[in-house]
Amino acid sequence: MTKKISKTSVALLAAGVCILLLAGSFFTTYNSLVSKDEAVSTAWANVQSQYQRRADLVPNLVSTVKGYASHESATLENVVSARAKATQITLSADGLSEAKLREFQAAQGELSQALGRLLAVTENYPELKASENFSELQAQLEGTENRINESRQRYNAAVQEYNVGVRRFPANIVAGLFGFGRKTAFEAASGTEQAPTVEF
Amino acid sequence: MPHLRLLTLALCLLTALAAAAAAEWTPETLPVPYLKDARRHVSNPDGRLTPAAVDSADALLTALEHDKGVQALVAVVGSIEGDDPYAFAMALGRKYGVGSRKQRTGLIIVIATDQRSYQFLTGEGLEGTLPDALLRRIQNRVTVPALRRGDWDAALLGTLRAVDNCVRGDASLFADEDEDDLTPGEVLGVVALFGLFGAAVVFAAVYFGRRRCSRCGRRGMTTRGKQYFRDAAGRRRMRTRWRCPHCGYEDTTEGDDDRISAAPAAGPVIFGSGGGGGYTGGRFGGGTFGGGGSGGRF
Repeated sequence: MTKKISKTSVALLAAGVCILLLAGSFFTTYNSLVSKDEAVSTAWANVQSQYQRRADLVPNLVSTVKGYASHESATLENVVSARAKATQITLSADGLSEAKLREFQAAQGELSQALGRLLAVTENYPELKASENFSELQAQLEGTENRINESRQRYNAAVQEYNVGVRRFPANIVAGLFGFGRKTAFEAASGTEQAPTVEF
Repeated sequence: MPHLRLLTLALCLLTALAAAAAAEWTPETLPVPYLKDARRHVSNPDGRLTPAAVDSADALLTALEHDKGVQALVAVVGSIEGDDPYAFAMALGRKYGVGSRKQRTGLIIVIATDQRSYQFLTGEGLEGTLPDALLRRIQNRVTVPALRRGDWDAALLGTLRAVDNCVRGDASLFADEDEDDLTPGEVLGVVALFGLFGAAVVFAAVYFGRRRCSRCGRRGMTTRGKQYFRDAAGRRRMRTRWRCPHCGYEDTTEGDDDRISAAPAAGPVIFGSGGGGGYTGGRFGGGTFGGGGSGGRF
């Protein structure tokens, strides 16, 4: 009744099972890398749209301030040119090298500083500060800065998860085969890496 | 004796002072009554609001959650650690996931009366209904004037009424009835899978649970009869007679009386412990916050 199974067929069967298992883990690894890669792209798109949102607020802000503080033209001019520079740089998540990201960050940082100076100047204009329109614009700007920070944090978290996924042992073989490289995260804005010195 | 009394008084005063000074709330220490009772959205640990105001705010927010699916968490405290209401509110949002996962319509309001700061935070699905500028307008016209007067009740209730008005005016928001994200097809699939698995388990249990005949080796011996008796030690035992349907072989086994093990082991089992109260705790849905909102100082 019982049929004798030859050794070769046992070996073949074992090899087949091994290949199936390997292929299965290969597919799951590849797919998880793809979804992590997509998560980074989505997070990056969100970062860019939040920066764009800030840039879109600038013209309105500038014209409002101009109405009350027309002789601050230098400060206003700075904001406008910084905005123009910042909106010129758009990057896709795929070609996001360290140098390009730094360039992007520098341009956006310049706009941040110009906006900061503008808001500091507005302190001298009580009428402007009392204007409801300006107050609401300011709220939008603050909210957008918060959104930018939040989206940057999320982008960094997505990048970290992706990078860990790419470097872990069995996955790094798959990553190497299909060209999943490391991705660059945001660094703290320049100047914040050193604690400020306090003088009395 | 008067010395002792004075000392006690001084000690009491000191502890009270220390408690007042130490009551800097963190997102971790802030009590959230909503978790215990889904109709209580307001956390008022320092008693800055009157009970009547808390009740009104709770009623309004419960109705809002029921009708529009906007889940709110309000904290009116003396002071918060770090004096950063935005970070505090964000941490609360992250910790509890205020708002449903689907609509992401969470709303967090933090007012620190001693530090004179406030922050409203909108979930990502609520940013369109309550844009930053609109929140600032509400704050400028309603919240801040009342806060400057030190009328915390009016500040909160006025704000909530204005927010309520705006949210109810947005027809795109809907009550969150179905927290389940599974489609009927998925439910059917899961049920079918469990059914198949269950059938396999039952089949295996029945098949392998059957006694094997010790003469022909095939499974499926049937019970011919049971006989109950007490052994020498007085234990209740049972003798079972078996017959193999394939070869007709018969034998007997002995075991414990099956009527004993079938009976409940220790008294009646009471289902459900006394929860008391009868109110059900709330569940935050896992909403996310993208940083939208408005805040300031007064």
